[in-house]
Amino acid sequence: MLFNSIEFLFFFPIVTVLFFILPHRLRWQLLLGASCFFYMFFKPEYILILAATIIVDYFAGILIDEAPTEKLKKKYLLISLVANIGVLAVFKYFNFINNNVTGLAYVFGFHNPIPSLNMLLPIGLSFHTFQAMSYTLEISRGNYKAEKHFGIYALYVMFYPQLVAGPIERPQNIIYQFYEEKKFDYDRVMSGLRLMLWGFLKKIVIADNLTTYTDGVFNNLHKQTSIAILISIFFFAFQIFCDFSAYTDIARGAARVMGYELIKNFNYPFRSRSVTEFWRRWHMSLTSWFNDYLFTPLVIKNRRSISFGIIFALMITFSLSGLWHGAAWTYVSFGVMHGFATSYEFITKKWRSRLSKKINPFIYNHISQLLTFLFACFTWIFFRANTMDDAFYILSRIPEIFNEINHWSITRSKPIFDESMSNLGHIYCFMFIIVLEGLHYLDNHYQIFHLVLKQNKFIRWTVYYSMMLIIIFFASATSHRFIYFQF
Amino acid sequence: MDKKEILIKINEIFKNILDNKALTIYENTIASDVEDWDSLNHIQIIVAIEKTFKIRFTTNEIHHFKNVGELLVAIESKLA
Repeated sequence: MLFNSIEFLFFFPIVTVLFFILPHRLRWQLLLGASCFFYMFFKPEYILILAATIIVDYFAGILIDEAPTEKLKKKYLLISLVANIGVLAVFKYFNFINNNVTGLAYVFGFHNPIPSLNMLLPIGLSFHTFQAMSYTLEISRGNYKAEKHFGIYALYVMFYPQLVAGPIERPQNIIYQFYEEKKFDYDRVMSGLRLMLWGFLKKIVIADNLTTYTDGVFNNLHKQTSIAILISIFFFAFQIFCDFSAYTDIARGAARVMGYELIKNFNYPFRSRSVTEFWRRWHMSLTSWFNDYLFTPLVIKNRRSISFGIIFALMITFSLSGLWHGAAWTYVSFGVMHGFATSYEFITKKWRSRLSKKINPFIYNHISQLLTFLFACFTWIFFRANTMDDAFYILSRIPEIFNEINHWSITRSKPIFDESMSNLGHIYCFMFIIVLEGLHYLDNHYQIFHLVLKQNKFIRWTVYYSMMLIIIFFASATSHRFIYFQF
Repeated sequence: MDKKEILIKINEIFKNILDNKALTIYENTIASDVEDWDSLNHIQIIVAIEKTFKIRFTTNEIHHFKNVGELLVAIESKLA
């Protein structure tokens, strides 16, 4: 089920009301049932995959906990990791691996007899497998004791707000919350609903309108002017931010209404002054997952030659993180580029620190922020492009913008993609971005979101109703799937 | 080598890795007390400590140090 759908508009209030009506001891069953329903709304048979991994991990967790030796603990952990990664390999990466094997075989004059599998990717696969692995990994590290209640463990994996696109939780953060009796608290419920409202506005108004533009361009590259391509690159940056942060806001808001706190996933990422900082502000739950379970162990293992160890670990981690996003070389390229950037930042850390002390901080900080943003946009070309060819084609078109500006009258007369968005629509897109960043800036300096909360009921509700009107009035004509839904 | 001497040496390592000549750490100092003491710097600090004292920590130990004090205890026991 999608958050931005009519079904959810019924699902959420019904589940929430039932949640508060039912006694505490029955609530986990309600949530589990609702989460199953939420998941099965997409493709019901896929619940079997989820069930299989839940059963494996539930028992693996207990076995790891009770294993008398480290060796045996590692063995049971391996079973869990193989099961989850195996499911990913089959349902997400099989064709990618197979196609590359075919290509490689062809180079050596062989023929790959294995056919492609034709199947739909189970929703949320990359998220719930990672969340499940964090469970068994934390137990194997002695940081958490296995959950004996099967239903509660299943709820940990399937909790509907974060089932499909995160945030990727840790057992220490969420499982104990399922045991707490949650009372109806008006302020908390309003806080959750506010978060959801803001999320819906970002998604339906900003992200979806930007998507109408960027989809039109990215899916019809050869018909576009270079300026249109350049604009769509910048639009995509805000689109993906609004889209993904909106999902997180709706997830956290829905959970908060019932009394559950999920971890944050974003912290004003476009404020980052380095690529390293960017990943501490963007998709934070994924960054910390990769940091804790891949990057840090790799560095520790290779610490004899620490500099090499860190760079090696950065490249592997970011390449795999890229691959996590999708079974395509475009995503791997995206990851590899971030690996290079963070490696560069690591190598030049002391030098850049000294440089920053010599230059006016205002200038240095703003240039750093701009460069980081531009770099992110550049890597998102590969992230969004449908193929590697498309990505390189886009790069080749960028220098042409100067020519197009020079011959502006000709450029103006060319239609933008299939004209499914009017000129007014383009202006709205720019306006949304300016307003969004304006609000972020004001919140950063004057805490305006907090200020609104301090006002009386009339002003607060005027703001809420205005937001709802904005959603209704400016809602994109085309409803688009959440980007991270496909991962 | 007693705890005090070890702490002085560790302090120098911290100053060097975190590029902060004015830094002073104590037994109860934790990562969040110190600017820039992130996981990356943490491992570099561990490596520098291992090289300086010619000792080796296990992966488990590296993961579980909660504060400088626990680090001191581990170093002391390995030097003994």
